[in-house]
Amino acid sequence: MKKNKFSLSIFLLTMIFFYLPLVFLIVSSFNQGRSQVWTGFSTIWYQELFYNSTRLWQAFRYSIIIAISSAFLSTSIGTLGAIAIHWYNFKHKKYLQIISYLPLVLPDIIMGVSLLILFTSTKFSLGLTTIFLAHTTFNIPFVLLIILSRLHEFDYSIVEASYDLGADEFQTLKKVIIPSLMPGIISGFLMAVTLSLDDFVITFFVSGPGSSTLPIHIYSMIKFGVGPVINALSVILIAGTVALAVSTKKIQKYMIN
Amino acid sequence: MKKIMALLVMVLILASCGKNRGESLYLFNWSDYLPEEILKDFEAETGIKVIADYYSSNEEMYAKIKAGSSGYDIVFPSTDFAEIMMKQEMLEKIDLSKVPNIKYLDERIASKIDFDLKHEYVIPYSVGATGIAVNTKFVKDYPHDFSIFDRSDIKGRMTLLYDMREVFTSALVHNGFAPNSTNENDLIIARDTIINWKSNILKFDAESFGRGFANEEYWVVHGYYENIVSQIEDDMYEHLDFFIPEVGGTMYIDSMVIMKGSKNMESAHTFLNYIHRPDVYVKIIDYLEVPSINKEAELIREVEPVYTIEDLERTVLLKDLGNTIDLHNKYWNEALTR
Repeated sequence: MKKNKFSLSIFLLTMIFFYLPLVFLIVSSFNQGRSQVWTGFSTIWYQELFYNSTRLWQAFRYSIIIAISSAFLSTSIGTLGAIAIHWYNFKHKKYLQIISYLPLVLPDIIMGVSLLILFTSTKFSLGLTTIFLAHTTFNIPFVLLIILSRLHEFDYSIVEASYDLGADEFQTLKKVIIPSLMPGIISGFLMAVTLSLDDFVITFFVSGPGSSTLPIHIYSMIKFGVGPVINALSVILIAGTVALAVSTKKIQKYMIN
Repeated sequence: MKKIMALLVMVLILASCGKNRGESLYLFNWSDYLPEEILKDFEAETGIKVIADYYSSNEEMYAKIKAGSSGYDIVFPSTDFAEIMMKQEMLEKIDLSKVPNIKYLDERIASKIDFDLKHEYVIPYSVGATGIAVNTKFVKDYPHDFSIFDRSDIKGRMTLLYDMREVFTSALVHNGFAPNSTNENDLIIARDTIINWKSNILKFDAESFGRGFANEEYWVVHGYYENIVSQIEDDMYEHLDFFIPEVGGTMYIDSMVIMKGSKNMESAHTFLNYIHRPDVYVKIIDYLEVPSINKEAELIREVEPVYTIEDLERTVLLKDLGNTIDLHNKYWNEALTR
């Protein structure tokens, strides 16, 4: 009984630690004044956000476009790559696997600088396209890892069953392997979206004229203090994330059936 | 299905990249520095599409451009960085015949850009001073210069900028030395002055002094006016005294330059000229609440700044120090670690 209480209090403390800042953020987004001092309830920052922040929304739109598109591509490549690594045997497979994980542990800043050097030396003009390529690149290892761990629990007999019933390789992939990997693919995709939305360091290096994503834009506002409008935007993002997290379970169920 | 979607999204992205075919202009500017309205008016009037990105420090901008982020036409560096960029031949020469409006420049201040007196590379955008803000609710009877930081009775309620150039130059000038002095003796005295100030301040702060001042946590802050007014509530103005130190003040000029390799030279010149049209420029100074470097605009402004262009004449413009900077850095670091 005593032990239970202890673990419960640790759990509660952790939750408070996680969510207290968010509570403060939400509260201060409804503050009338600009500073942290509470001066009264108001929704003016939300009005400001929706009617008067075109630049912010532009950056937000770029972030979303990049996140979703790069997540699509990296999930596709990552899934196929994971299947290949798991089932096929080829020379130096082990080394290939290690190399594919390397970007996971590599500091972002090295990744950013190296991509920048690559792009500038090949005269690739920096912009949304280069951000898209960079995000796809750093997302692939994450997707790969998630799908591979899913594959380790995979029951190989259903693949054999599918061959026995006359399916060719492609049909097996399409009708058997991909559907049963779907939960992994979805979580890989969501992971990729999150990482891409988050990324500042790599994006900072590879972004060019007219392609500021949300993190880059917010960072550029530091000089005059990150304003309450950002608080309002964050609250909307939190609401969106919560909605997404809640609905993910349903999507997964739907996709499997 | 998924791959088709991915392909579709990719195509969309590529399509959106190549859209800006007509005349366009790429700006790289400080955030919140140019009223959105001006860009919209400019686009409507000239048909030139403006694409703007923003930065929060000169260093960030310089790193970005040096690293190969070419493609910007006009950048807004402070003059010390403009000088470095000019020396490194990163700037395009401005055809002044296409910018007739520079005749409105107030040469009392514009001539402080002594490395480009003709404005062939660097055209001033805005001027301002670093000052000291005092909360008069808590602090009374104080000197109007840096000796306010000698007061130990308000210890722990003051901040100085976390900026070597600002503080070290102020300390030198405060003691009556040249701002770019290399004299060992001067530097030691400046260092000791800073050590003395350091014992009375809470910290060196270049990011959150405005917020701290608004919370009444800090009573005396060294910093920029616009950072402070962007944080305080309306009822605090009556307790705010912002002054330029009588001796030892520093000022800045943020400028507009055309980047080497700009593909929109015509549009860039049009833009430079547009900004200094008095009826346009007045919107900038009314927005930033800074003194006007454009003489015509000064006459028609509606918002009066807290300090005037005359106040700026006695301040020092921070300039590129070249190799002297290492020397200053050395003594600054000594002051920080003692």
